[in-house]
Amino acid sequence: MKKIANYFKDFGYAVAHGDIWVKLSLLIMGAGYFGRKQIARGILMTLLQVGVISSIFGVFMPYLSKLNTLGTVQREEVFDILTMKKTVNDYDNSLLILLFGIIGVLVIVAFIALYIGNIKAVYRIQKMKEDGEHINSFLDDIASFKNERFHITLLTLPSIGVILINVIPILFMICIAFTNYDENHQPPTYLFTWIGIKNFVNLFTTSQTITFGYAFVRVLAWTLIWAVVATATTFLGGILLAQFINHEDTHFKGMWRSLFVITIGIPQFVTLLLISKMFGDSGIVNTFCSNVGITEFFRNIGLLNPGDSFIPFLSKPGWVHVNIILVNIWIGIPYQMLVATGILMNIPSDQIESAKIDGANKFQIFWKITMPYVLFITGPSLIQSVIQNINNFNVIYLLTYNYKTTNMAMANSHANEADLLITWLFRLTNEYSNFKMASAIGIVTFIICSALSLLTFSRMIGGDKEGVYR
Amino acid sequence: MKKKLVSALLVSTMAVSAFVGCGAAADDTAATETADATEEQAEASTEDAIANLIAATEGTVNIDLWCSETEEYQTVMKKLCDDFAAQYPDVDFNITLGAVSEADMKDRVLEDVEAAADVFIFPDDQLEALVKAGALNEVAAQYTYDMNETDTPATVEAAQYDGKQYGYPFTASNGYFLYYDKNQLSDEDVASWEALTAKAEELGKEVGCETANGWYLYGFFKGAGCSLTENEDQSNNCDWNNETGLAAAESLQSIASSKAYKSYGNDDLLANLNDGKVVAYVSGTWNVNAFSEAYGDGYAATKLPTFKVNGEDKQMASYSGYKFVGVNAYAENTGWSMLLAEYLTNATSQEAVYEATGEGPSNTEALAKASSPALDALAAQSEFAELQRVGGNYWSPAESLGKNILDGKVSQQVLDDAVAGITQPVE
Repeated sequence: MKKIANYFKDFGYAVAHGDIWVKLSLLIMGAGYFGRKQIARGILMTLLQVGVISSIFGVFMPYLSKLNTLGTVQREEVFDILTMKKTVNDYDNSLLILLFGIIGVLVIVAFIALYIGNIKAVYRIQKMKEDGEHINSFLDDIASFKNERFHITLLTLPSIGVILINVIPILFMICIAFTNYDENHQPPTYLFTWIGIKNFVNLFTTSQTITFGYAFVRVLAWTLIWAVVATATTFLGGILLAQFINHEDTHFKGMWRSLFVITIGIPQFVTLLLISKMFGDSGIVNTFCSNVGITEFFRNIGLLNPGDSFIPFLSKPGWVHVNIILVNIWIGIPYQMLVATGILMNIPSDQIESAKIDGANKFQIFWKITMPYVLFITGPSLIQSVIQNINNFNVIYLLTYNYKTTNMAMANSHANEADLLITWLFRLTNEYSNFKMASAIGIVTFIICSALSLLTFSRMIGGDKEGVYR
Repeated sequence: MKKKLVSALLVSTMAVSAFVGCGAAADDTAATETADATEEQAEASTEDAIANLIAATEGTVNIDLWCSETEEYQTVMKKLCDDFAAQYPDVDFNITLGAVSEADMKDRVLEDVEAAADVFIFPDDQLEALVKAGALNEVAAQYTYDMNETDTPATVEAAQYDGKQYGYPFTASNGYFLYYDKNQLSDEDVASWEALTAKAEELGKEVGCETANGWYLYGFFKGAGCSLTENEDQSNNCDWNNETGLAAAESLQSIASSKAYKSYGNDDLLANLNDGKVVAYVSGTWNVNAFSEAYGDGYAATKLPTFKVNGEDKQMASYSGYKFVGVNAYAENTGWSMLLAEYLTNATSQEAVYEATGEGPSNTEALAKASSPALDALAAQSEFAELQRVGGNYWSPAESLGKNILDGKVSQQVLDDAVAGITQPVE
């Protein structure tokens, strides 16, 4: 708070104590530089001012003025039968209004910051002049971008990129969650508009007809269970496999390693689609199981109902969950094995040797020295992969795109038991054009992911745990 | 989501540049032209309209056409487009053919209406979504033929929404019926589901229908006498949870409990068909080659079987299916796109399409020349077939209801929940 207050206090101070040039800069941003003979800088600043202001009024104003309603004029067309030409009215496109509105607001905010910064800068130059310090010429300014202001040179492009491909889309998505953008309100032909927090209310409501609340809790629970279990199993499996391959008694290490890496080489979606076919209700695995009597055996031990003629590997809740995780272990372990191999090779051998001298057995060494070390090194990347698994679209969607739920409450909100938040969101947008609910779900996913990473990262990296291993 | 947004961003930037570039100017000229035209040629005929269009056309006319990715379609469409271009030697056409699966047509077009094809072929169940998104150009006038005279009334009506014509009838064979192997099954066997499953059990073979799919499931409930209709706001009315509905669901459940009854998706169906396991299955003309190859000289098709509801034989109903040619409301050359759509759907083109793909024409003249077991079966079923008009909230609950029936979990509660989902209000 104090910082913000100071920010504006400095601005007021600069305006109050500035000379005529500083005060002129309130109107013409370059004036302060002209007064100190920084002509080129003054011209650039004034051009920038003219450019930004004219773009605000020329380009963004028509959109900004409609931002509160997201447009009121619906598209209407008149077709002339005789000339076969079509006349279209000057209609509003809600999507463009929202997009350009957001960009316009960002431009205005950036411009205000620049404006305030500019006044402070010209006041600083006034001070420097009064104190008789050297004032940079234009060439000095340019040279400074190679030296003391090199960070600006370096970071300009990346920050523009971040704003374009991260900040604007995220703001855009957040805004969509507060509109009624769905299959009945699709631009460019139809308009959508603000509806407040209704989508979020729906997301947490459960009634017989609105079942989003019911589905959301279940989908979220499975998403979190999946993310943790999938990460933990592939991580442990990867380390064990790497241990096994690195063991002194293992021959043909290179061959083993390449065998597992080959699974990485095959595009994941091909493997996954094949697996989903193989494990389908009438897939090859089911045929095999019923031929050799495994299906019969499962029926006898009560895993299947007496009437079931196939094993529902990917078509019943419970079964599908276990199988997805098993398949994920199979395709996920090679990656973790590669990571773990690198780490295992770098374990300080002095610790292991001293443990051996102290009489520790192999398991104790693995559990007390190797694991903590590996955990410490891979901690941040583990959190990363939990987050990745929360959004692991491929494995879930490609394995279960045929899944049909028997749970009516799930079906009524287009979800099923195998869905992660991300696949549910995909189905809502792709098959039902329900962008508003998808955005609301997206925001909740975003909040969960960012809260999780912030919490765990600050716990892990914070403090000085690094010292423990030094 | 992020990907979608980025593409939306890109797309909108492109759209904006188009606006800035020429939007305003083009609108003005179009407006004045229209005004002039109405004054001068108030009584011009359709030939004049085409002549006007030719006269007003400058440079190359670019038309994108999206149709099914199958080789048969691509070949016949390419030929028809060339013939169309040859009809107007004074105009320089550049017609580009795109391969888009018909089932995905709606999704691909709605990804970005402004960038989608000018003319596209789509099945009738997508009409509503396309109209709702404003993607279809209204057929305000016809220039080379009048579909009300040349096409079957049912197909013309199917391409209407809210009393307005949105599509050009193209094929009328997108519904479903029963394929069977007449070497193994007799006429009596295929008359009812009860006889069919009993015989298949005896043979150790498989029969069935994709029950966990709202499109087929509708046939059972409708046949039993239940109703499913759509309101103006795209919500549904559904009474499947009444006594008849429960009886129909229980009857279907007992049919489906037979070992021989299968609910295969299309891929599984084809796999098991080739293995020789499936001897009768509910499907449509899109699988005509697969079935005729699998059954050889036993290949036959007929109307859907009956099934018992409260001890009475009820004829299973179905959705009739059509394909339409649609013109994009945002087409660059609306006039030429409309003429191309007309050309693709006239009698000779429909005949060519029938010969290439085996799909039944909607044009009466072309239909008279077409005959095959599949088309005859469709004609027999047509009496019990209904036009598909249903709101989007139907599909997920119906799929789940079908799955419940297959799993033997039918109860009043399940039906109540399904109906609640199907009839949930649309905001």
